[in-house]
Amino acid sequence: MCLAIPMRIVAIDGFLARCEARGVEREVSLFLMQETDLAPGDHVMVHVGYAIQKISEADAAEAWALYDEMLETLDGEAGAPRA
Amino acid sequence: MPRRSAQAWLDALHALPPPPRFRIMNVCGGHERAISRAGLRSLMPAGIELIPGPGCPVCVCPEEDIHQAIQLALHEEVILVAFGDMLRVPVNVPRSRPRSLEAARAAGADVRPIASPRDALRMARAEPDREVVFFAAGFETTMAPVAAMVLEGLPNNLSLLLSGRRTWPAVAMLLETGETAFDALVAPGHVSAVMGPEEWDFVATDHGLPVAVAGFESASLLAAFHAVLRQRSAGAARRENTYPEVVRPGGNPGARRCLETAFEIVDGNWRGIGTIPESGYALRPAFAAHDARRRFPEHAAPDRRRAGEMPAGCDCARVVLGRIYPDQCRLYGRACQPRHPVGPCMVSDEGACRIWWSSGVRQTEVANAEKTPSTL
Ligand code: SF4
Repeated sequence: MCLAIPMRIVAIDGFLARCEARGVEREVSLFLMQETDLAPGDHVMVHVGYAIQKISEADAAEAWALYDEMLETLDGEAGAPRA
Repeated sequence: MPRRSAQAWLDALHALPPPPRFRIMNVCGGHERAISRAGLRSLMPAGIELIPGPGCPVCVCPEEDIHQAIQLALHEEVILVAFGDMLRVPVNVPRSRPRSLEAARAAGADVRPIASPRDALRMARAEPDREVVFFAAGFETTMAPVAAMVLEGLPNNLSLLLSGRRTWPAVAMLLETGETAFDALVAPGHVSAVMGPEEWDFVATDHGLPVAVAGFESASLLAAFHAVLRQRSAGAARRENTYPEVVRPGGNPGARRCLETAFEIVDGNWRGIGTIPESGYALRPAFAAHDARRRFPEHAAPDRRRAGEMPAGCDCARVVLGRIYPDQCRLYGRACQPRHPVGPCMVSDEGACRIWWSSGVRQTEVANAEKTPSTL
């Protein structure tokens, strides 16, 4: 449940950001990031629709490699519910 | 700084003097999943044991809270929303009554799984004539987004049944009571990303045990195992951090402020464990109007506390405390499998039983049958 995925910020509008990862766009809340400077192009770790921490582009790429592996494992499981 | 590979950390780990017995506990379902999936247990030097501890918020969610959620869901006007994991967790009631939120849904209740607090907001706005109750369980990482949702302003028809828990008080309880014997701790990465790694300093300073915050890659976990074993060899204990790319000193101050503003800290009941001081979150009085426990007081059932332990025959309580490994439960893989789970540890994606089963661990081999983690 504490799983977080890295996403790239595409655009910011108030506390909401359009974020992208692997070609999929999502609306992400930046409400928890009020004490962090963020701009389009930055990368954030996203947990249940909220950015919880800023990360570097290189670290985002590494985290994605891990996440891909985990998704494969999860997909392979019988009856695992995927949100 | 180029990072060392998992193999390099593994080699370094094997190069350290082997301990007679060194039990490293983790308190995060994500860690346990990464360990099991990569088969790290079998790669450890002799003597090192990796124990899954209280790392699953769904598993320790009080039975009386789930019971209350089911009763609320059975209301005509209520839409009950919860993170998907919660839907199949069983309560201890006769078979004639709904034993889970999923069963309540089958009986006609409007129960909907959500992936984000923002889904709850959207549903409440879309159906202003219905009462939306968000049954929110989770550790700090998840409760921070819930706090953000509260602070951004809730529609009148949205209330919260809060079952959030803090992780460090559970570890403090284990250490203070000696409930479970372990020699070092690997602390949760994303909890620390929000709260700051300093929350775990007490493990070293107050209890003299090595502790390292870790991420979810094998390299980060192995670096953490290496860190705590190296400390042990050196006879020192301090808190290290092998996930610095996400875990910064002080964590995320904006998120911590949200948690503080929305919630107060209260004692929390943990299913199968009991009350742990200062381990729970409650809405501050300013948001009392959105507290589902106040809005629907008729469903509070304090008398369920005693009835509300783990299901009969289920050893989840000892699994969660790290006192036994999942495959040492007599029902593991027999009566209890993901398709027909008996206890919450086999339901949740973060439950140790579910993770072990998914990673291919079948019934106990006789060899490790008597080697429980808490054997002294
Ligand atoms: S295997 Fe099933 S019954 Fe046994 S402890 Fe795990 S969840 Fe409970």
